[in-house]
Amino acid sequence: MQSLISDNIVRKRFSVEELQITAEEVESLARMDENLPSYAGFIEDELLGRLKNASIQGGYLIEPAEVVDETIIIEGNNFEVGPTIAGALSNSEQVAFFVCTAGNEISERVNELNAKGDWLEAYLVDVMGSVMVETAMDKLQAIIENECVANGLRITNRYSPGYSGWNVKEQALLFSFFPEKFCGITLSDSCLMHPVKSVSGFIGIGTKVRYRKHACSQCNATNCIYRNSKKHCDFSHLNG
Amino acid sequence: MEELFEQLAYCIEYGKINKPSPFPPDMKDKDGADEITQQLLNEGISADDILQKALIVGMEKVGVKFRENKVFVPQVLMSAKAMDAAMAHLKPHFANSPGSQKGTFIIGTVEGDLHDIGKNLVAMMVEGNGYEVIDLGTDVKAEKFIEAAEQYPGAVIGLSALLTTTMNNMEEITKAIKSHNRNIAICIGGAPVNQDFCDKIGADSYNPDPQGVVEFLNKTVE
Repeated sequence: MQSLISDNIVRKRFSVEELQITAEEVESLARMDENLPSYAGFIEDELLGRLKNASIQGGYLIEPAEVVDETIIIEGNNFEVGPTIAGALSNSEQVAFFVCTAGNEISERVNELNAKGDWLEAYLVDVMGSVMVETAMDKLQAIIENECVANGLRITNRYSPGYSGWNVKEQALLFSFFPEKFCGITLSDSCLMHPVKSVSGFIGIGTKVRYRKHACSQCNATNCIYRNSKKHCDFSHLNG
Repeated sequence: MEELFEQLAYCIEYGKINKPSPFPPDMKDKDGADEITQQLLNEGISADDILQKALIVGMEKVGVKFRENKVFVPQVLMSAKAMDAAMAHLKPHFANSPGSQKGTFIIGTVEGDLHDIGKNLVAMMVEGNGYEVIDLGTDVKAEKFIEAAEQYPGAVIGLSALLTTTMNNMEEITKAIKSHNRNIAICIGGAPVNQDFCDKIGADSYNPDPQGVVEFLNKTVE
């Protein structure tokens, strides 16, 4: 099989500090209401302590693409993304493949806390992991957008396998465009990503594409922590 | 005695773990689930009575409030923690009288899906309502569910999925379990699932929330 790995892959690492995650944001997304004690101290301690050196990283590459009906064709490979995503990417001339992870440190810490019976703390670290990977992905997307804008192009929202009718099994084909264990991410037999707090997917690029500011109504992830929040997830979802 | 049962149920409902725990604020420095359970045992109340008349009552109230969006995941986890503190006192008594639990529930997130928060909430709520829970984890294949069902005859199986694309796996797993033994009761849940899907794949029950699973088990398990 001909290698699909391009030599124009961009890879970025992010520190917890530069993501500027606040305890308030985590508590709000976790739905810690005002009747509960504040866990701000715990969240800050985790971000500055155990999770400080989390292996947060991501990367992308841009390839020419053609959208035909419900299929996106890239380098002769068909991605059956379904009508929702194909519609959103319909005018794309290129596609940015992306992957991003908050690192395995999150799952390790969640497991450790769950084993001690500290379930609420484990849940908060899980939410922190989601915020970390989505915030890192926001930064990666901003880099892609800046590159596109500099060339007179625009971008779409980001879309992930597992959501909006795009089968999670296609994650294997998506990952074949990256080197093995790229950013430390591997796929299980069921095409799920490890570390768990990882995202992957497509961003459409073109002169006629558009970015939707409020995309939750088109997404089927009804229990997404970002759903209808001020800072929405932009359609990429963990381990989709 | 009734007053102590009510106090204990209140501790479970609001997540008052023990005396030092600062939550909820209106119960500061008061006994929590830990102390009251011990007090009830000291007064000769059976572990089963404590479970039925206080702990399950408290967990049911949390379950209903969660269903009605009056509380969210963190509050349920606080209640589960209080429940756990009480159960630590009761478990040795149950260990000496096998069969005191209402039944066994095998739960797992289906193959192709790693989401576990919903599954964990259901497991906690079911356990809090007096059932033994066998948690198979996430990304679980049909064979593993069947193996567990053979190990725990009469157990009910709960399948969880969050992704629309793993609903297909839920269908395949349900069919595999039913073709192995059609008498195994299966309930399903998760964001993309609904009653129509449940009917289509031949599962026995769809429940949109943990309390629904408890109610299904109470009806199904003898």
